[in-house]
Amino acid sequence: MRKDFCALFKKDCRMLSSGKFFLMAAAFLALYTAYVNFGYIRFMRMEPYNVYLYDPAGTQTGKSPLVQTVSSMEDMNAVLLSDANGVGLDASAGEVQAVLYKGAKHVDRHRADYALSLLRPSVSPAPEILGTNTPEQKVRKEITCELLFFELAAVGFLGIAAILFREKGMGVIRVHAILPVQKDLFLLSKLAVFLLSDLAFAVLLTLLNTGLTDGAAVLPAVLLQTAILSLMMALVGLLCALLLKDFRQFTLAYLVIAIFAATPVFLSANTSVKLAWIGYHPFYHIYMGLKNAYFGTNISPGYYVGAVSVIVLLFLAVRLAFHREIGKEG
Amino acid sequence: MRGLKYQLKSILRDKFCLMTFLLPVLVAVALNFMGSIDLSTLGELHFGVLKNDLSPQTVTWLERYGPVTAYETQEELTAAVKEPSTNVIGVKADGDSIKTAISGDELDIFQQAAATLPALYEQRAEAELVKVLTLERPDILESFQDIFIPAVLIVAMFMGCTFNAMNIISEKEDGVAFINEILPMTPSQYIFQKVVVGFLFGSLSSIVTACICFRLSWQNFGLLLALIVLSSFVAALIGLFIGKLSEGLMIGVVYIKIVMLLFLAVPILCALIGPSGPLAVICNIVPSQPAFDGIMALSAGNTGTAVKDVGILTVHCIVWFSLYILILQKR
Repeated sequence: MRKDFCALFKKDCRMLSSGKFFLMAAAFLALYTAYVNFGYIRFMRMEPYNVYLYDPAGTQTGKSPLVQTVSSMEDMNAVLLSDANGVGLDASAGEVQAVLYKGAKHVDRHRADYALSLLRPSVSPAPEILGTNTPEQKVRKEITCELLFFELAAVGFLGIAAILFREKGMGVIRVHAILPVQKDLFLLSKLAVFLLSDLAFAVLLTLLNTGLTDGAAVLPAVLLQTAILSLMMALVGLLCALLLKDFRQFTLAYLVIAIFAATPVFLSANTSVKLAWIGYHPFYHIYMGLKNAYFGTNISPGYYVGAVSVIVLLFLAVRLAFHREIGKEG
Repeated sequence: MRGLKYQLKSILRDKFCLMTFLLPVLVAVALNFMGSIDLSTLGELHFGVLKNDLSPQTVTWLERYGPVTAYETQEELTAAVKEPSTNVIGVKADGDSIKTAISGDELDIFQQAAATLPALYEQRAEAELVKVLTLERPDILESFQDIFIPAVLIVAMFMGCTFNAMNIISEKEDGVAFINEILPMTPSQYIFQKVVVGFLFGSLSSIVTACICFRLSWQNFGLLLALIVLSSFVAALIGLFIGKLSEGLMIGVVYIKIVMLLFLAVPILCALIGPSGPLAVICNIVPSQPAFDGIMALSAGNTGTAVKDVGILTVHCIVWFSLYILILQKR
């Protein structure tokens, strides 16, 4: 049985390799790493509001060094137009007036009050720091988690379907029906190939983008979540490939699902926009599992029970579909 | 012409090709719609407090700056502050004043807000007396749309590549490619029929997308049309290359993904990093770079750069076409 499994495993590896999937995974790894290190980290910065003061009479003597002085109202208008988040303070008429471009109501109030507070700076107690991550570490972990989730879903789901459609076309399933090999090994070898390639991808992506020290610390938890996600996506991919007839229709369905499934999950899990129904979205829980692993947050045992049950159920469904397919072919 | 009619008939039956044509148009509509959504609330401050810790007046004051959530226990408050997807600032009473707690991984703007909150609290009475003049704000998403819209347009143009590659690969898989070889058809007729299908669909998809996204003068629209037509032609030719080189549908999909990624990544990275000298010239080897650059220049009103990019794309058309003819003749 072990020999059979090894033979099937080798065959699947060769198919993946000839299908250029390893090459594609390596290309995506390089691209994601370049994007995180040269692009994303640079964009994810939000400096505090700039405060500009027009004070021709020089009445504001105790102002904070954070306040930038402008020489005329024209200069003030020009600088606010180019920096719409900035706040202008006009002290030319004696009383100070705050000038700002309209944004959200609460934010505008805060911007105006913050700007005024800089005219009479006082020493406040520094905020208590409760977490352990720096802003850069957080951004790196967040984007790595998003990319890993998207790539695992894409490679596992699309890859296994591609292999199976190819095998279907070549008549491998028909041949398999008469081979003296245990039928489940056919499925297990495919799951093993994708699981191992996904784990390798997760290790490299995590270490390259979150740094060696940070990456190594979260790696065990991340690999566990990667295994869960990889198995689930590979099983869903197998099921679709067994039930659908045409690979092109499958690719289209996949594209639509990927866009509509991933967008609300990313929005809810990474921003303060919380959609009321997101708790019913299965991807949300899987994504949160992966994200909690990156941030070292505890994951409830209920999630693991649910994940294992889903994997077992999916495997049984795939097994049933596979045996039906073999029966049809035979 | 009859061959072309059959080609079009076969494409129209293929839902995959039709959807690839519609996707960029749908994204363009979504982007246009997004411009009218106010996402500025995403930058709002969120506060977490302990139940019965702060006075009702202090809570009302905090609510001026953003939503306040009361938590039963300190653990719940700490968990809310540490939650990575939000920027909750914990606020607690500190004698007559207040003190704040943050996770430490927030963006600078939120850290600064937490650091200055006690000072704002001290000066709350004076702050209420100050006059605030609010001006109408320019579109916040405009700068993002500047990059998104050309990117969608590039995708639309290069859809012709997908049409052609898929068309040739399915002909290979169905065995039609063998029949094509014995048909009384010259290589130039074959190339014409294959290029025209992807070229027409790619151009059509791009023109619809451009009409949704851009409001240009007639002269600039003429230049945009030239950019669209030339890059759609190059994309259609690249589709032929992919079709020729792919042994199966799956490998074709992989090639298309890689090409599409390259076409999108190079111009976007160039726009963000702004390379100069030899690197800028090398980037122009990817045909989407002059197309993207030209569209960006047109939206900024710079016709000179757009004309230069039309020239680069013309060179691309000639080079790719000659290369394909050469390969076809060698076989």
